[in-house]
Amino acid sequence: MKDVETRPKRYERVIILALLLASLPLILGFSLLTISSLSTNMVTNLDPDSFHSTLENWINLFKGKIATTGGIRVNIWRITLNTLVVALGVAGVVTGISALAGYSLSRIDFRGRKILMVLLLILHAFPGVALIVGVYLLYRLTFPQSHDLVGLYSFIYVILARAALEIPMSIWLMKGFFDTIPWEFEWSGIIDGASRITVWRKIMLPLIKPGVLAVALFAFLAGWQDIIYVRTFLIHPTLATFIEANIEAEYSHMPLIAAAGTVYLLPTIIFFITAQQLLLQSYSGGIKG
Amino acid sequence: MRKEKLRDLSFFLSPMVLMVLLFYLVPLIMTIYISMTRMKNWNVERYLTEFVGIYNYERLFYMFQHDPTFKAVIMTTIVFVGITLMINVFGGLSLALATFFINERAASSYRLLWLLPRMSPIAVYSLVWYYFFHGSEIGTLNSILMSLGLISEPIPWGQVTPWGAWSVIIFVNGLVGVSFGMIVFTSALNQIPKELVIAARVDGASSWQISKRILIPMMKWHLLYVLTWQFLSLLTTYPHLFLLVEWDLVNRDYGTTLALYVFNTAFGRGEQDQGLAAAAAVVLSIIGVIGGFVTLKVLQFEKMMKKPRGDF
Repeated sequence: MKDVETRPKRYERVIILALLLASLPLILGFSLLTISSLSTNMVTNLDPDSFHSTLENWINLFKGKIATTGGIRVNIWRITLNTLVVALGVAGVVTGISALAGYSLSRIDFRGRKILMVLLLILHAFPGVALIVGVYLLYRLTFPQSHDLVGLYSFIYVILARAALEIPMSIWLMKGFFDTIPWEFEWSGIIDGASRITVWRKIMLPLIKPGVLAVALFAFLAGWQDIIYVRTFLIHPTLATFIEANIEAEYSHMPLIAAAGTVYLLPTIIFFITAQQLLLQSYSGGIKG
Repeated sequence: MRKEKLRDLSFFLSPMVLMVLLFYLVPLIMTIYISMTRMKNWNVERYLTEFVGIYNYERLFYMFQHDPTFKAVIMTTIVFVGITLMINVFGGLSLALATFFINERAASSYRLLWLLPRMSPIAVYSLVWYYFFHGSEIGTLNSILMSLGLISEPIPWGQVTPWGAWSVIIFVNGLVGVSFGMIVFTSALNQIPKELVIAARVDGASSWQISKRILIPMMKWHLLYVLTWQFLSLLTTYPHLFLLVEWDLVNRDYGTTLALYVFNTAFGRGEQDQGLAAAAAVVLSIIGVIGGFVTLKVLQFEKMMKKPRGDF
């Protein structure tokens, strides 16, 4: 990429400064939340006097003491685990399905291929979330009678329903990754007598590992950040519904919620730092189509 | 078709087809069906078979004419989609151009920072802005303005109707959408031949002139793409608004778009009216699907879909 060496350094500093100024609310908001989790009360008013450093919030959070006065105990690990199960489930379902469909759209010429690709684009743009009333009716109609299965069922359903939203985009992303692999790899396999399924599994998938990882990462973050689907379908609480319920509840101690929010934000930040190039590249790669 | 090919195709495509049927087609039919019943409070046993024809659509139309709350929702939707769309497109464009003209390290950290709103958990993101725009003196914005002496007492920003509430939801959602335009435009800029920029530089063009005369005209398709795509997604998005309204940060009527109205009417607190919600969802879906087709035609996506070269 890039502008050339002739670019004046002076302008560069001006641009960087202007960008910093524009990003200030963003930086401020997120840092104040994290700092508040280390204080006895929220420091969102930028008053240094209201900051009294303490680790109490974090200690209480990990002990599951969510109320300092009320004594209502919530097992934060259980809640985090629920969130993780949903996110991993979504990542697994989305990656699997889009690796399969992406390959066939990239490599196999069949009747209806074009229509299918247009359909996926429409579905990607389509108000998928607007269908939630219908998705919920399906949930109700297939609800299990037995009491023991309800929890498991709601997990499976929320994973599938949330994954469905990500699938059109992910298939296009995955197709883009398959498109970059030269046909020669595939021919060599086919000539040796392997079926397309074997070629896909043994030759193609190992070649697009970074692509698979990127799609899985996106899907994981989508499942991890979700609030609408988990609060509608999942019976157990997740970090999102936990935070939702605790704002303005009289018994909740806000810096504690800030700590919970920081825990919730952590995986996103970790992925950001470790996989930044992958995220930026694949995001633009998928859009090219 | 050969038998073998059929087997391969069903192996590769059936999971996807199943998902599309289960979570798009069946729900679409069910939504249309519910919109023609008297469904309330998810009392499936009682109302599922109570067919009322187009009664819910008539109610919707009547509300559109006479109900001030629903009128506020429609106004909010129009203003929200219109202004946020502009912020998304031009904000994304400015970010992409600005990061194009600075060194790579600074550029990618800014890009990453601006991806944060889209990637961070919605509950945390909402929590951040909940405190930023909070109506009392603990709100960050209020405390900044008060210490600068611009205001003497805290202003409940989200409750000032209509523009206070609109500004908050536009700001919060605008930041989420900006990253999409930024990424698309950045990848477009990277594909523009370097020589063009170098030639212009040698001729003494400024960054501003290069942007205006060379870079932006070469990104026309991408501008159109972001514009249409973002329009559709803004029309139907509501997760980032949901908590702001539920936590009373913004006014209920002027913080609710049609998509959020659908959700809250079907799943919100108090009296739920799924028949009405479904009717609104169908209207929204029709706009969405028409918009989707128009987008595809305008962008000429079909031309970009080439046949697989080496398949035999």
